[in-house]
Amino acid sequence: MNAKSKKYFRIVITYLVLVLFCLIALYPVSQILTVSLRPADRLMSTSLEIIPKDASLRNYKALFTERPFGLWLANSTFVALVVTFTGVALASTAGYAFSRFNFIGKKIGLLSLLVTQMFPATMLLLPMYIMLVKLHLINSYLGIMIMYSATALPFCVWQMKGYYDTIPTSLEEAGRIDGCNRFQTFYQIILPLASPALVITALFSFMSAWTEYIVAAQILQDTQMWTLPLGLKSFESNMGSEWGLYGAASMIVTIPVVVLFLSLSKWLVSGLTLGSVKG
Amino acid sequence: MSEKLKTKTFVFFLIAPAFLVLIGVVIYPFIFNIIISLSNMSLSHIKDWHFVGLRQYVKVFTEESKPSFYDVFLKTIIWTVVNLFFHVVIGVFLALLLNQKEIRGKAIFRTILVLPWAVPQLIVALTWRGMFNYEYGSINLMLTQWFGLPAVQWLKSPVETFIAVIITNVWLGFPFMMIIALGALQSIPHELYEAADMDGASWFHKLKNITIPLIRPVMVPAITLGTIWTFNNLNIVWLVSNAGEPSDQTHLLVSFVYKAAFNFYRYGYGAALSMVIFFILLAFSLTFMRRTKATEAAY
Amino acid sequence: MKPITRRFGSINRSTFHIFLFSFVIAGAVFCGLSGCSPKTTEKIRITIWHQDRIDIRVVLEAQIKKFMALHPEVQVEQLFKETESLRSGFIIAAIAGQGPELVYGPADQVGPFQVMDIILPLDSLFDKSYLDQFDPKGLTYYKGHLYQIADKLGNHLTLVYNKKLVPKPPTTEKELIDIGKSLTRDLDGDGKPDMYGLAWNYTEPFFFIPFMTGFGGWIMDDNGNPTLNNRGTIDGLKFIKDLRDKYKIIPNESDYEIADILFKDGKVGMIINGDWSWSGYEKAGIDFGVAPLPKITTTGLWCGTMVSPKGFSINANVSEEKKKWSIELIKFLTSDENELEAARILHTMPTKKSVLASDFVMKNDIMRNSQIAIEHGRPMPVVPELRAIWDAMRPSYQAVLGGYKPAEQAAADMQNDALRKIREMNE
Repeated sequence: MNAKSKKYFRIVITYLVLVLFCLIALYPVSQILTVSLRPADRLMSTSLEIIPKDASLRNYKALFTERPFGLWLANSTFVALVVTFTGVALASTAGYAFSRFNFIGKKIGLLSLLVTQMFPATMLLLPMYIMLVKLHLINSYLGIMIMYSATALPFCVWQMKGYYDTIPTSLEEAGRIDGCNRFQTFYQIILPLASPALVITALFSFMSAWTEYIVAAQILQDTQMWTLPLGLKSFESNMGSEWGLYGAASMIVTIPVVVLFLSLSKWLVSGLTLGSVKG
Repeated sequence: MSEKLKTKTFVFFLIAPAFLVLIGVVIYPFIFNIIISLSNMSLSHIKDWHFVGLRQYVKVFTEESKPSFYDVFLKTIIWTVVNLFFHVVIGVFLALLLNQKEIRGKAIFRTILVLPWAVPQLIVALTWRGMFNYEYGSINLMLTQWFGLPAVQWLKSPVETFIAVIITNVWLGFPFMMIIALGALQSIPHELYEAADMDGASWFHKLKNITIPLIRPVMVPAITLGTIWTFNNLNIVWLVSNAGEPSDQTHLLVSFVYKAAFNFYRYGYGAALSMVIFFILLAFSLTFMRRTKATEAAY
Repeated sequence: MKPITRRFGSINRSTFHIFLFSFVIAGAVFCGLSGCSPKTTEKIRITIWHQDRIDIRVVLEAQIKKFMALHPEVQVEQLFKETESLRSGFIIAAIAGQGPELVYGPADQVGPFQVMDIILPLDSLFDKSYLDQFDPKGLTYYKGHLYQIADKLGNHLTLVYNKKLVPKPPTTEKELIDIGKSLTRDLDGDGKPDMYGLAWNYTEPFFFIPFMTGFGGWIMDDNGNPTLNNRGTIDGLKFIKDLRDKYKIIPNESDYEIADILFKDGKVGMIINGDWSWSGYEKAGIDFGVAPLPKITTTGLWCGTMVSPKGFSINANVSEEKKKWSIELIKFLTSDENELEAARILHTMPTKKSVLASDFVMKNDIMRNSQIAIEHGRPMPVVPELRAIWDAMRPSYQAVLGGYKPAEQAAADMQNDALRKIREMNE
């Protein structure tokens, strides 16, 4: 095969594989859509149709009229956005320090970040609750925001550090020569180059806060303060969950994540590569 | 201020906020857990517990249970390795496909492929459970109608259930690795590939010598943390197998802890088991990171 | 600007701004929030934690509003928590000295709560004349004291049948099998049945209990020791296996959700389910009837389900003033009027003797059959060891259904496992 038809072949196969994986990704999600359109709370069905014969948008309407879904959305958005901003701010700076500087306790520091992830969360509930009671953070957003930041940060810091590691230090040196101080080289030169990692940090922080249930269930006692996961859980019973509402809510809950991803993903593949460094 | 002091101050202000939060939120529960693991806190000793030394740890390793600690441990390792393998391979593979400049509609593909990660886990896990149903599930329907293969009793026997849970988790996990890999690929300068092409390198050669080494610094944290999270992932196993069915065979170490602590109120035992899990993961992380030199920079 | 930075132009600027913005926002929000706390009113707040499904929540909310109208100085709030979260959440909160004033749930939560000393004994707080108005099944005693007062009795399993497919419900297991066989049909000729006679969550021990009792067994003796290795267990296990393999009237794999949708889709004639599910079937448009579970002809015993009251317990951490109001609230929610209202709307069985004797309960079809099912049933034990028993039953039970353990072996294993787990729990 000559070079051109090799390339053609590669492109066709790529599209085929991508479409196949998209179908695999989509199918279970379409099932959830079906559940949301199907009346009478059936989680499954004996038929394979995606849009059931008796489909109705009743569940979607009921979410906003019969339940305070709008309130949950607002609460979750607030919490998630704050956690995202905090995560980006803290992780980008801490990650930079770990990447560029050598200091006592650097290795320990990095390892201890990992260590925080190694515990099964279930065992941390009781001490966490006691601590939050003592700090009067029960039933407050500050409490869960701190917890969420703490859960998301380790990964984000590591991620940022890893990404900074791929940026050559010669860039900062060039910046210093040009007269920028440390902070300027950081935010004007290095940070933009690390935008893919910033995107990942933002997404990850957002998801941690958007989907977290266990901590929120323990801390938020006031139904007015409920976040989406708590709201969704209220549709669930041990036996006899309100699957229709749950499905509709799940579909809606996914939308902001997708929107966020779409808007951020152009920076994920920014193409701001290191073409600026020759040799 | 001297240059060195300036540097140190700068560094300090970069790291301090993050660490303050972490210390408060993690160290205290950690110490609490260690204390409980050395005690006999349980249903009958909930407020008046006292220290019993390492007795709980002994129980963890020697208590006769079906399945035994070692069975569950082995299962957890298999679970973790298989999951991570597929997550990374599929994720990197898709990222490479999407990174080619001739492909159009990248944004759409990326968005669809990220859906498994974006959808709420509970209902998706239960949906998968439904899909594995012998008579009515989509998977068997597709196997029998499209491929003419016999239907599998997915959730009836331990091996098939385990496979079913793994399939579900692979589906849930590959988008994450794909996104990380996509980000990582951005840091590789095009010139390197162009130079390799001029030298007549094959795609395999380029993959092995350029791509993989250069995405490593970014992938390694993701893989390490991915391993830890997968090892400790309670949700999926619990939901798809309906809390360990059949016959309590589909368990990971974490679901064991969950059962002990929350179903039987054996908090001391649960804490000890958590510590054991912790040490296992610590040992793994230290070894893995030493071999990949993850704490140093790439250039 | 300097040469290097110029190259990055606009992107670098906006990134910087976002970055600075992030720091500022995060800082401001944190500062602002540290002064933020939920609005405290001068009213006395009473909180109820429960795990009720939505229909019950609606009724409860209306009744709470009535209470608050009568007593404007009190603010009552209800908080839903999923069953497991309710139990573990209440334990964690109460041990830390917090938690709601009232916790509402099935009677089996009383055992662990009492052992952990986080609920109050109620016999000294309510006088005898009040308690005498209750059917004894609605008052839960443990270790000699009253710990829970129920407003609903139930959580019991009944035979729910589709009137279109099953005009008259079976009263014996033979009739059950016959009706099942006539209904299980392969309609499209592909060799697999498209309709089944019966479906239910048969892999879960709770749903197996009626057959254990029908064949003469029970899970524990009066002292809380497990008695799983008995004829009832063995014959019950064999019976269910036969239903699937010999008579083939139940689907191959049927958990709660599958059985539920099969019934809602009209693809199964009968389902064994509890009072919580009836409204769902009504919503699905099924013309259904409720009947007690059948009698086993070989033993002459009725299949008896576990019956459990659902009621209120008072948190041990409650203050004196709140205690007074908690008692008032319990009395209000268990008043004849409110119990009758709940029964009418939700078809739940009330606990006050006078309401049980009312026309509605005696004459309404569903209520009447529900009552019979309860009479055939046995109270669910409240001891914490029950958990261990469920856990011991499940693996062996599923092994029998999976075909790799004979029933006799399973019964023996269940007993041994239960003993072991109870021992471990109490160490």
